[in-house]
Amino acid sequence: MLIGSINAAEAFIQAGINSTSVPIAMLFILLYAVLVSILMSVYAYVFGWVERKVIAKIQYRHGPTYVGKYGILQNLADFIKLITKEVRYPENADSILMPLSLVALVSVVVFIILILPLTPSLLATNMGLGLLLVFVILDFSPLLLFITGFASGNKFGELGAQRSVLMLISYSIPLTIVVGTVALAAHGFNIAGVISAQSSIPFILLMPVGFIVFFIAMLAELERSPFDLREADSELIAGWLTDVSGPYYALALMLDYTRMFMGSLLISILFLSGWYGPVFPPLVWLLIKAFIVSLFIILIRTAVVRMRIDKILRMGWIYLLPLSLLNLLITFMLFR
Amino acid sequence: MLTRINIGPIHPSTHGVLHLVVDLDGDTIDNIEPHIGFLHRGVEKLVETRMYMQSPPYMEKIDYVAPMSVDEAYVAAVEAALGIEVNERAQYARMILLELQRLASHLFFIGALTNDVGQMFTGFMWGFRDRELILRLLEEATGQRMFYVNMRLGGLANDFPKDFKEHVLDTMNYLSGRLKNYESFLEKNPIFMQRMKGVGVLTKEDAIAFGVTGHVLRASGVPYDVRNNNPYYFYRKLNFREQTLSHGDNFARYRIKIMEMRESIRIIRESFEDMPEGDATGQMVKLRSPPVKNKTVTVSREAPRGEVMMYLVAGDQKPYRLSMRTPTFINLHVLNHIAKGNRLADLYSILGSLDVVMADVDR
Amino acid sequence: MKVEREELGRNIERAKSSGYDYLIKITAVDYIDNVTVIYFFRNLAEGKDATFEVELQPSDLWLVTIEPLFPAADWYERELQEMFGVIIRGRKAERLLLEKWDGKAYPLRKSFEWGKEYTSG
Repeated sequence: MLIGSINAAEAFIQAGINSTSVPIAMLFILLYAVLVSILMSVYAYVFGWVERKVIAKIQYRHGPTYVGKYGILQNLADFIKLITKEVRYPENADSILMPLSLVALVSVVVFIILILPLTPSLLATNMGLGLLLVFVILDFSPLLLFITGFASGNKFGELGAQRSVLMLISYSIPLTIVVGTVALAAHGFNIAGVISAQSSIPFILLMPVGFIVFFIAMLAELERSPFDLREADSELIAGWLTDVSGPYYALALMLDYTRMFMGSLLISILFLSGWYGPVFPPLVWLLIKAFIVSLFIILIRTAVVRMRIDKILRMGWIYLLPLSLLNLLITFMLFR
Repeated sequence: MLTRINIGPIHPSTHGVLHLVVDLDGDTIDNIEPHIGFLHRGVEKLVETRMYMQSPPYMEKIDYVAPMSVDEAYVAAVEAALGIEVNERAQYARMILLELQRLASHLFFIGALTNDVGQMFTGFMWGFRDRELILRLLEEATGQRMFYVNMRLGGLANDFPKDFKEHVLDTMNYLSGRLKNYESFLEKNPIFMQRMKGVGVLTKEDAIAFGVTGHVLRASGVPYDVRNNNPYYFYRKLNFREQTLSHGDNFARYRIKIMEMRESIRIIRESFEDMPEGDATGQMVKLRSPPVKNKTVTVSREAPRGEVMMYLVAGDQKPYRLSMRTPTFINLHVLNHIAKGNRLADLYSILGSLDVVMADVDR
Repeated sequence: MKVEREELGRNIERAKSSGYDYLIKITAVDYIDNVTVIYFFRNLAEGKDATFEVELQPSDLWLVTIEPLFPAADWYERELQEMFGVIIRGRKAERLLLEKWDGKAYPLRKSFEWGKEYTSG
């Protein structure tokens, strides 16, 4: 019953998007964008709570308990607190560029999630070079981080920003090579095509080396431990976010989880056969996989210490780049 | 071109109110100038205006992570000046309490260090949770969780309660198992090892020249531990060895702490075996007949952070002058020397491995 | 061991060459008619301590720095300057380490008055 109505809604929206009349298509794309944003926010919210609880359990703590049942409303309380706070800019800060680049960062994430196919029957776009577009846009985010950090006029912010650009240089290349390899295996850059190419066997089994490289590079891209150098809590206070205040800080926190959602979706789509799975509908399978990937990411966070920037760069160039090339070579032999 | 950044006085990992002015060449440290004194309370002057046994509460605030160690050194200095004997049971009881305090302090160190190298609070929480068990024991013995003021002339304020021995030994058994967890959690983590090994090296010659004490000195290969080389109480009778490593890097400083915790557990177990029955409470000392005026005594104690030395010039009713050598004052001084040329990220792990407590630095 | 100010440097050098190469502490006591500065040294290998006491007249408080021999003396000498007003010759001008009254008050001298307001300078 529920699944049936969801399918009907999907078909309805898809029909609207595919409509030949431009205004109607625009309207339905907007509707789709709103729905996806809601999904993203809910995921970010729930996952924010799950992360706090899981980490608390590992650290022999309770985590949030007071606001709502099991502290489920704690993040909402934090959010309300942050958005009602005063926005302050330091003396040297660029008060236009700083918030603008943060908003641009969020829009990059939303845009990527919009391009990704969440179910087989509902696609905002089915362009042939979708995968390439995703990673081209993704490489903007370190630059936007750099702008935020630099515009904050704080030396800790600048140091965090510099680190983010350094990591961009060393991690984008292996990441892009692996994406190219995946496209080679899937015979095209169409994202829906990449998923349907994994209908029998997910790419994680075909190219485990590529998966490892992609996962590590993605961790670096998402500034998650052990690569959280841009924020580097105990070193740079909050790195590029040091002087971001009030509602913009709330935005930055939400950005953290939405980016994790995006990263987990990308990993599940490229390597974990996306929406394929028994019993549950495709969207649920995709979300389950993304959730497991996210959970794995935060488990890593509790166990490791932060890497030093020079060691990260060394790892990127000495291990990840050759490994990604090796992966390309093997895949080329297999799919020739 | 050098960038100058101001780290602290309010910063997540400066261990209190420490202000470091750091000149950076890119990401490499060119020079560090520590600005200290934010917590300077003039305890040395304050003591001159108080009766002898009014001062221990001030002494406890010198090193707030291991309050008893400084307090005990002061009380021992007063005992030496006034010529008061401590009975055997009280000596063992003090040793046990001091070693418990050392364990608590070292667990605090491990927690803070993992936070400094960028661990997301897991090690921190583990360390603090186990420290809390020790604090619970100290609370049982003294009535207070952190600032005990339990030392009296010639003994303790009160003897150990019933069942204290069993509780301590249970906790020690638990803790010696936990130490293995810490070791496997941290030392099998390649990134942790990468951040600790070969970072912030202090050679043996420099360690002596800079006069560092405690675990920093022993990590650089100088086998000097006051408990062993200039023993007090019954440390000589016990099967106790000072712990020395030779690398002088962050990892050696961390490793010394773990090894010392093992030793402390052993000391506590052995002390309980040797401890005689009797009464460990201190005596009321009437100062009607003043001690020899201007008699000077020097008392050294191995506190968790290094050697605490009390130089006491006795007055009539009050100390004429008390000069303290607090360990982290001089251990912090070496920071510029060993952190120079390292990466900015390593500054925090080096600072963490020196185990500074700012109240102890500033007095 | 009591030594004269003029012989201090030579004595410390001799002590260092005979194994007392670890500086524990430099401190001072104000005995009103004189200020005694005490140097604590240790022979780490043998575990022996040695002290040098220098009596200075309150009107003529100065010493020569031993920082070139013992880097550890750095902060102790600065502390001595601030707390007792003992001028250490051979040091370059430095920021105050612990106190804020530059040349106005020396807290550990007995002439320091409780309750009096010393302005920072």
